[in-house]
Amino acid sequence: MTADIEIRNVSKQFGAMTVLDHLSLSIRAREFIVFLGPSGCGKSTLLRMIAGLEAVDSGEIAINNERIDHLPPGKRGIAMVFQSYALYPHMTVRDNMAFGLANIGVPGKVIEARINEAARILEMPHLLDRKPGQLSGGQRQRVAIGRAIVKEPKAFLFDEPLSNLDAALRTRTRIELAQLHQRLQSTMIFVTHDQVEAMTLADRIVVMNNRKIDQIGTPMEIYERPATKFVAGFVGAPAMNFVDATLDRSGKNATARFADGISVQTEIASSQLTDDNYTFGIRSEDVRIVAAGQGNADGVVDVLERLGERTLIYARLGDGQQIVGSDAGNSRVAVGDRIGLAFDGQKSHLFNETGRAWHAREA
Amino acid sequence: MSATASIEGRAFGDHLLLALVILLSIVMIAPVLWVIGLSLKDNTELMADPNSVFHAPYTLKNYINTVGTSSVFIWVRNSIIVSGGLTLGTLILSSLAGYGFARLNFPGRDVLFVIVLFGLAVPEQAVLVARHQIFSMLKFHNTYQGLILPGLSAPFGVFLMTQYFKAIPKELDEAAMLDNASRLRIFWKVLLPLTLPAQATLGIFTFLGAWNDYFWPLISATRKDMFTLTVGMASTQTNFAQSEGIGFLMAQAVFAGAPILIVYLFFQKYIVTAVSGAAVR
Repeated sequence: MTADIEIRNVSKQFGAMTVLDHLSLSIRAREFIVFLGPSGCGKSTLLRMIAGLEAVDSGEIAINNERIDHLPPGKRGIAMVFQSYALYPHMTVRDNMAFGLANIGVPGKVIEARINEAARILEMPHLLDRKPGQLSGGQRQRVAIGRAIVKEPKAFLFDEPLSNLDAALRTRTRIELAQLHQRLQSTMIFVTHDQVEAMTLADRIVVMNNRKIDQIGTPMEIYERPATKFVAGFVGAPAMNFVDATLDRSGKNATARFADGISVQTEIASSQLTDDNYTFGIRSEDVRIVAAGQGNADGVVDVLERLGERTLIYARLGDGQQIVGSDAGNSRVAVGDRIGLAFDGQKSHLFNETGRAWHAREA
Repeated sequence: MSATASIEGRAFGDHLLLALVILLSIVMIAPVLWVIGLSLKDNTELMADPNSVFHAPYTLKNYINTVGTSSVFIWVRNSIIVSGGLTLGTLILSSLAGYGFARLNFPGRDVLFVIVLFGLAVPEQAVLVARHQIFSMLKFHNTYQGLILPGLSAPFGVFLMTQYFKAIPKELDEAAMLDNASRLRIFWKVLLPLTLPAQATLGIFTFLGAWNDYFWPLISATRKDMFTLTVGMASTQTNFAQSEGIGFLMAQAVFAGAPILIVYLFFQKYIVTAVSGAAVR
């Protein structure tokens, strides 16, 4: 079973505070969608509205073209995995998984078969007779997913399910979730504030900020062509470099000039741009480290972060602004060195005052 | 050197504590042993010398007389019915009210909760006359409902259960809602089992309170066959001159104490937890 989910013009208020403002979104069947955004952006509220745990103040939510926003949670044909797992502590794993099926009158033999199948998929048959208190965090997580699987829902909803796991287990569970999606071919909606989870799991990412959607796109679209300055800064680690710039739009493509006279030739068509003042943005991997005087600008190395396959270099420009560049893993650069920074104009971005982004023409 | 001194100091402290605990235990258990000892002595011998309790001969005559003639079994039965009924009723009402206050949104909820809590501040004596009048009109005196009903207004129970329900994560309700459970089923199958420690605490305190209650049964139960244990025992002890003697009274007391001792043996884990307050977390 799988589902198209249509969210049309949905709004939500808590008292006088608007948390979602006329938001629309189409989720295709079998798609793995990730709602990504900072705390308080409304992503969990949107998920809970789909689940039926929060009322929809205005707008519609439909699954397979049938409106569901008036239905109680149990009648929507969806399953949810909570951040805290929300397992019933006094029931065994088996009873936790059976509870929802028993409530809708599924015959005992069918329940048993589904539990056994889910336990096999999640490699946890030996846990079925234990209670949640006897399980580790990772095992509880599996049980929560198992409880969702046995319901054979039209869609799975995940509310930051990895955030209570340690780093190693989080990575492993992430991979298992991706495999589970491939195996079940079910619509999945996953809420997180962790951009790595979003980038690795999603077919499409919905980046939310300040009550609305900033961008919907594939992970690489989001990364390479962020729609707003917020998206550009939120997705990617380290965050994109931003430098205030004035534009020379006399040529075919705009040239960004920084306060201390540094200039970078972009691949962004001048004809698209109307103002002279923009924020210039560039990712660390698009700033190469070269010998002093050989790049667009010179800087002094403040901090080195050796990540193994590459080295992040935090360099301070003449006007005090910090730029993060990327060098080889075995970079010889040391703190205090004077280096040159070469900006890849083809990979640069410009953002206006409202945060709207312009990028180089697609190749 | 200093580590050794520290260990020795700790050992001395432990021994001192142990001695204190033993001393306190003797103080607590002495009256009980005294009662049992007296119940095993002949009345005439006790009249001549109360210290005869410390030496033989001992007899079961008082127990045989108690079984044959005393009303103590009727009073024990009444106390069990009243305490049991009151405990069951309090648990049901407090759980339902606690769930309502903790989980349901209804107009005036918070004001109502404050009014319920205000009940804690009203002494029983303040409402006694009015309650007596009402129960007279309803002909509830000398009935079990007359003895049980007043205790069912249990603001402490409502408060305790409300706080306990509030402490249960709402995600459990939400998970159960997504599992297509009705509100009643969520209450019964998901939340209520999780409140068992609080139920045990409340149940034990309610049962002990009802078992030891003297004031209201003294007013409401005026017929001997409706006496609870406390009222019945008091009636025989205040009429000592006409009683069968102190050994007989003590045998009655042993019978009277037996049920509560059995309750304690079964629920001692919960009682200790309840008294230490660890159950309410």
